[in-house]
Amino acid sequence: MLQVNALSCHRQGEWLFKALDFSVSGGELLEIRGDNGAGKTTLFKILAGLFDDFDGEVKWDLPGPPLFVGHRFGLNAQLSPAENLSFLMALNQGASSREDLEAALERFNLADVVDQPCRNLSEGQRKRVALSRLQLTDARVWLLDEAFSALDAKGRQVLTELCQDQIAQGGAVIFSSHQPVEGFGLTKVLALGKSL
Amino acid sequence: MNALMRECKILVRSPADAVQSLLFVVMVVTLFPLAISPDPSVLAGIAAGLIWVVALLAALLAAERGIQADFADGVLEQMVLGNTPLWLLCLIKAFAHWLSCGLPLLLITPLLGTMLALEALEIYWMLASLALGLPVLSLFCTLGAMLTVGLDRSSVLLPLLIAPFLIPTLILGTQWVQSGGQSFYGYMLAALLSLSVVTLPLATGVAVRIAVSR
Repeated sequence: MLQVNALSCHRQGEWLFKALDFSVSGGELLEIRGDNGAGKTTLFKILAGLFDDFDGEVKWDLPGPPLFVGHRFGLNAQLSPAENLSFLMALNQGASSREDLEAALERFNLADVVDQPCRNLSEGQRKRVALSRLQLTDARVWLLDEAFSALDAKGRQVLTELCQDQIAQGGAVIFSSHQPVEGFGLTKVLALGKSL
Repeated sequence: MNALMRECKILVRSPADAVQSLLFVVMVVTLFPLAISPDPSVLAGIAAGLIWVVALLAALLAAERGIQADFADGVLEQMVLGNTPLWLLCLIKAFAHWLSCGLPLLLITPLLGTMLALEALEIYWMLASLALGLPVLSLFCTLGAMLTVGLDRSSVLLPLLIAPFLIPTLILGTQWVQSGGQSFYGYMLAALLSLSVVTLPLATGVAVRIAVSR
């Protein structure tokens, strides 16, 4: 699904990473590890296609674009979780009914705030709103940058289950995390930074 | 369509934005007679130019509205990642700018014209020139805001960058009114609008791609 050859990127004159080679195919989990500032977010932006100032090759073999959830969630503060999700789905031509939206938010324990403006929500709640998209999308690959941080135990568990389902259905998940994630079986690891 | 609904909802939830543009315009137009002269013959002479200058400044002031938030929230990133054409989303952004800034101004223009002692026919041409010209201002302002969003001191850079491109619209608009509706200016303004609608959203789309890679 994804083939990366000799990927190098530098910022402000310093190499973030040099000559990375890796691949991801269906049913695989890839964890990207690295300290703060090691280039994890930049790597995610490159994979998502948001950042193209790099050397090397990133080849996707997918019917549609991958789904990217980063540090910024794409939620407008004036709009409710349901409205925000429905807009984000529509950007990918995915129509989602009110029932689907409610069910997706319900699973992340957000049933009470479905129609509250997002500005009233806490950081963790907004992250869960952003992650609710995972249940609605048909993207084959998920790019989750720091998805497990700022989540409570229940949220982490739901996210873990969603990732396991995605793998079981032949999709792939690329994620980064500061804490070890429990419940994942075989995981590929890509380490970034000086420790290499 | 969903994107269009979203802009309308955001506008309805924060009506202060539209009120702010309107208040700015009304205040400046009210202050002019007080500061210069309440003489109707003087006012009627400067009225067209005055309304157009205020419209241009109001458009520039409102340019970053919404776009700054969309950048900070990561909505621009998701717009680039989705498979909806970016030019369409940018056109909707420009429409949202017109809705919160251009439309209120257009609606209050008959009142402003009367305050500045314009005659009915002149107000008619004023409305016509604004109807064609304000969307052009919105399209350019959206382009400028996308080019500068996320940069340091973007609010200084934006007017410097975009103001020169707004001047042709200003000249054509005021001349149309002052010449008593000479069709040449109307045609030129209409041509400018058609050209802007077709080309500027494409350029704005490229600007969004650059903005999210910062």
